[in-house]
Amino acid sequence: MGAKVYLSPLPARRDQDRSASRTLFLLTLLPPALVLVILIALAARAWPILGEHTLWELLAGTVWKPLQGLFGFWPFIAGTVWVTVAAVALAVPPCLLTAIYLSEYARQSIRAIMKPLLDLLAAIPSVVYGVWGMVAIVPWVEHSLVPFFRRWLGFLPFFVSANPTGFSVLAGGIVLAVMIAPFIIAVTYEVMATVPEGLRQASLALGATRWQTVKSAVLPQTLPGILAGIVLGSSRALGETMAVLMVVGNVAQVPGSVFDAAYPLPALIANNYGEMMSIPMYDAALMGAALILLAIVLVFNVASTLVLRRIMGRVRRAW
Amino acid sequence: MSKTFRLTLAIAIVIAMLIPACGSKTTSSESSGMQGTLTISGAFALYPMMTRWAEEYQRVYPDVQFDISAGGAGKGMADALSGAVDIGMVSRDVTAEEEAQGAYWVAVTKDAVFPVVNAQNPVLADLMKSGLSQEVFEGIFIAGEIKTWGQAIGRPEITDEIHVYTRSDACGAAETWAKYLGGKQENLLGIGVFGDPGLLDAVIKDPLGIGYNNLNYAYDMTNGTAVAGAAILPIDVNGNAQIDSDEVLTTKDEAVKAVANGKYPSPPARVENLVTKGKPEGLAQAFIQWILTDGQQYLEEAGYIPLPPDQMDASLQKVQ
Repeated sequence: MGAKVYLSPLPARRDQDRSASRTLFLLTLLPPALVLVILIALAARAWPILGEHTLWELLAGTVWKPLQGLFGFWPFIAGTVWVTVAAVALAVPPCLLTAIYLSEYARQSIRAIMKPLLDLLAAIPSVVYGVWGMVAIVPWVEHSLVPFFRRWLGFLPFFVSANPTGFSVLAGGIVLAVMIAPFIIAVTYEVMATVPEGLRQASLALGATRWQTVKSAVLPQTLPGILAGIVLGSSRALGETMAVLMVVGNVAQVPGSVFDAAYPLPALIANNYGEMMSIPMYDAALMGAALILLAIVLVFNVASTLVLRRIMGRVRRAW
Repeated sequence: MSKTFRLTLAIAIVIAMLIPACGSKTTSSESSGMQGTLTISGAFALYPMMTRWAEEYQRVYPDVQFDISAGGAGKGMADALSGAVDIGMVSRDVTAEEEAQGAYWVAVTKDAVFPVVNAQNPVLADLMKSGLSQEVFEGIFIAGEIKTWGQAIGRPEITDEIHVYTRSDACGAAETWAKYLGGKQENLLGIGVFGDPGLLDAVIKDPLGIGYNNLNYAYDMTNGTAVAGAAILPIDVNGNAQIDSDEVLTTKDEAVKAVANGKYPSPPARVENLVTKGKPEGLAQAFIQWILTDGQQYLEEAGYIPLPPDQMDASLQKVQ
């Protein structure tokens, strides 16, 4: 006989592809199905509370006194948004500049050292960030930032608070900003690295400086990717629990200033999870809190995906 | 075929790993023999004592295994009621709702929550001399109308703000402290800090701070005085605006004595309960009974306070 036949007959090859395709498809369905199952399970356990209060009462209510039957989620929703916005606002500018430096300016050797170091930040357990926040950030906010802002920006209600301590939205935002930074930097950097070298060289050949090249050649190309990185960071910030819980003050009030204490949804769940079995409706309320958090993250992600698509379409057209 | 088979096998393994083992919990309550496993979870306040008891019990009955975890009184209650553990440690009173769900509790030891201030408090001398009354504590922690240390001690010229701290996590200490002030944990004002050590730390860092801690966190185990940087704030129980000799809480010994003889009010002194779903049986019953008898000798060296005789009798009766 001549050469050994490695290929199985045609029908078998087709079957193999077909079965592989089906199994892989089923496996791909698992994660979204899991989200759906979680949603349904949470909704089912949260259902009893909707029997006693209207959705509007729950979402817009500002008083949280479970033992008196008052379940207002608004302070927690507002707290989540405040802390997340503070974190993203603090994290994005320096992260963008860092990524630009690493991708456009840094020498290979610096890049080889800095990248793993930045990735290391993502590996630090969140409770460690929380301890660092309590020991370093909270006192710093209390003794340096609060007096500074009161002196120079005291006319803005945004920066004035009756909270006498450093446990605040800002402390949570700072800790979170450091926590989400490695994600934003990594994604932004990777996206910038995909810009063809020819594009940069063409720009430089026209006499543009590196900064001009970044501004007019690299950034427009990578805008969707950068936004995706920011979305990833924000999603993480929305759900981060332990580190935030330790520095944010946990007062069930709607914050009016970055120096007010806040109480984000994940902290509410983590703080009271243990009690929920023993007090009527508490269980349903906490499941409701989890449901709201999940809904916020889902809506945020879907919305940002839609925005991304739009921008991506525009960028393609422009090119 | 072989590739398909391998692929299927790989997928099967992955799926098998994704599905958590849903085996039923082995129950421990062997009918009478002293063997089996006891699972226990709950209050941080009782956790150190429980590990000690388990250790000593195992010395007598080596065939008994223990699985003990701390997660707060609420978790202990929830776990006991759901059957996730055999015994729940609950460092607060058991509510009527919990009783309705089948919670059966036995008091095993006493403990107390103490108000704590910073050692650099601007009016520390006044506080130590005259203490604070229940009404003043209520004004600080619940009503919020007492906002300065001057108001608290009746010297309005002092305008240093009071920085109130409380526990953010649902816990027995906060519940007990709130009960003393006529409220629930949700009524306590202040910045919420996670855990007993966290709360103590926040007060130690803030000269104007006030908080509350369990006996074993408020006092330094090694020298029997308040933890460095903190001061235990005595309570003016009889309302004569001065701290009498039996109201002094400077050292742990004085605090233990005041709690044991009832001079320190209850709450914030409290009994620590062990909770089972329904009346304890088998190993759980034997262990709880041992705690109430032979186990009592380890209380004091571990920093806990024995039950007064009448409460002890009631407990023994409940477990039999």
